[in-house]
Order: sequence, then C-alpha cells, then structure tokens
Amino acid sequence: MGDRAGAGGLPWRHAEPVMGTVVSFVLRHRPTPVLRAALADAVALLHEADRVYSPFLPDSAVSRLRRGEPGRADAPSEVRRVLELCERAHSRTRGAFDAWADGRPDPCGLVKGWAAERAWRVLREAGATDVCVNAGGDVRVGGAPGPAGVWRTGIADPRRPGRLLAVVAGRDHAVATSGTAERGAHIVDPRTPAPATGLLAATVTGPELLWADVYATAAMVLGAAEAHRWIVSKPGYALLAVAADGEARQSRAGAESSHPQAWMIADAIPIASPSDKHPQWPGTP
Amino acid sequence: MQVRVTVGGGRLTGVVVVRTPSENERDREIAGYAVPVLTSETLTAQSAQIDTVSGATYTSEGYVRSLQGALDRAHG
Repeated sequence: MGDRAGAGGLPWRHAEPVMGTVVSFVLRHRPTPVLRAALADAVALLHEADRVYSPFLPDSAVSRLRRGEPGRADAPSEVRRVLELCERAHSRTRGAFDAWADGRPDPCGLVKGWAAERAWRVLREAGATDVCVNAGGDVRVGGAPGPAGVWRTGIADPRRPGRLLAVVAGRDHAVATSGTAERGAHIVDPRTPAPATGLLAATVTGPELLWADVYATAAMVLGAAEAHRWIVSKPGYALLAVAADGEARQSRAGAESSHPQAWMIADAIPIASPSDKHPQWPGTP
Repeated sequence: MQVRVTVGGGRLTGVVVVRTPSENERDREIAGYAVPVLTSETLTAQSAQIDTVSGATYTSEGYVRSLQGALDRAHG
C-alpha cells in the first residue's frame, strides 16, 4: 500500500519531544548516514532553540534578557536577529503579534516556527528534498510524499476533536494553525490586553513556516473580518478562519483582491490525489 | 482545475471540483503553495488521505491523543 510498505522502508519517520510539544518528521528517503546525521542536526537545532529562547528556563538567554542581564546590545547575535524578526512580525501584523506584550522580550510565539523552518532547511540542504516537518501542528513540507503525489495536510476541526475541517495539498509550502482547541484561549490581544476569543482557529498557508505561524497567531487576535482583509496584503499567504460560532471562511484572493495569484493557486490544488501514492490512515481498507 | 463554491445561509458550505488539472509542469509549479480547500462533507480520519495534520499546538501530553500522534504511531 504505497509508501507505508514501500521498498527500502520509505517513508522514514521520527517524532521528537521538544519545546513542550512533539516535532514529527517524515522523509521520503533512505536513511543514509548523511541523512541520519542531518536529522540529528535538525533535532539538535530544535533543542538548542528551546534552551536559548524558552522563557520557562531560568538560564535561557531570553530569561536573562527578560531580567535585564545583559542588555539587548550584548545578547548573542542570533538572539538579536530573532528579536529583529519579532519587530518585523509586529509591524507586519498591525501590532497583533507583540513579543513585548508584557514590556519584556518573549519571542517564543515566533521561535517554534522559526526553528522548525530552519530544521526543515537543514534536512533539505543535506539532500532530503522530499520531507515534512510538523512542529506541534505547524507544518513545513518540501518536494512530495511519493513519486507523483503532493503533500496532504489535514486541518484539525476545532469543534470536533479527531475530525478534519479541510485538506491543504501542495509541494513546497507551510501550514500553521493557531487555536483554542488544545490549550484554551491562551492567545492574548496585546492591544487590549485580553484573551483573543473571536476565533476558534486560524490556519495560514504560505511559502515560509515562520511567517505562516506568525500570521496565524495574528489572525486569532485580529478576528475574522479584519484578518481576511489584512491577509490579502501578504503575497502567497492565505487564511482559513473558524469563528467562535463555527463558521469557517477561507480567504479568496479573487476579484476583490489585489493578489489574484492566490486565487490561481487555490484553483491548482488537486483535491483528489492518486490514492496509492499516499500513506493511509489506520483502519483504512 | 475549476471549483464550484456552494454558499448557504451566508456561509461557504462546499467546494466541488468541476474539472481536474492536467499533470503539467505549470500546474505543479503553482500548486507549490497552497490554500485550504473546504470540502462539502465532513472529513473523517478514515476518509481523508493525509500525510500530516495541522491544528492548535498540542502539548507533549496532548500529542498522544492527537491525530498526528495516531498517524505517527500507525506508520511507526
């Protein structure tokens, strides 16, 4: 049955507990020594990001920054780079993403997507062109899961655990979801500041996981109407928002949008792919 | 590919494929990035062929009962 029992043990999977969640890898490659080393590097990168950026670890670089020791100018260059990304995220989201919401730097809303994107690149640069990295529900794919297929990402239905709301299909892209289903209303609107409760979930697709993740968080804060107007200013990115009343709406960059390219992309998605090219769900005949 | 969008009661209720794309390079190229497609029926784990799952961030405990956890276990 396709890849699951494919020759050479393809695809090759790994699940790594890190950053308070689990990061799942799928590689449609033979586990050569080079790729095993690359996977170890990718996993190490995630743990290193956890050590450096976690506000929950008292000795992390970010915890020290939050205590004012040292000042930002003395922080490691990579930390300064991440804080610059946080500033860019703030301006790109109309302030809906704010790593300084409590007055002190906390980049952890951006670090998971940033680190997962980098882990994906480590694998790709080592030759793993057909690879999927899922960081606790935020997905980055490249290449394809089989000789003729495209990666298919199910979007969890926030109202019905265990069921899917939609499927995203494509080759090189990212899919990130923010929502209340797993950890409650944990996203704070930095502008009020109160928990963002207008949406149950926001899924953003686009070329980079770092930004898809930031935009999904921002969409939760902005709410459906503003988020749908705002997302069309982000070329290549699209939004699926599930409102508190259960209404699901996806951005449609069509006549009303300045980015008709996204509409064309939507039109190009194969909904039904060749069935034997994809791993199947347990219990599927 | 062309899709027909169904709207009922002011909301999007379904997307139906009218014509499927040819497997040419241009289709592959523009399929590189993707947007979600809502389907007209509820997608269950059994009926959807998926490689992975995107959803609200789970904790490492939540992972065990998540769809992604089940998918990883099934493919070991």
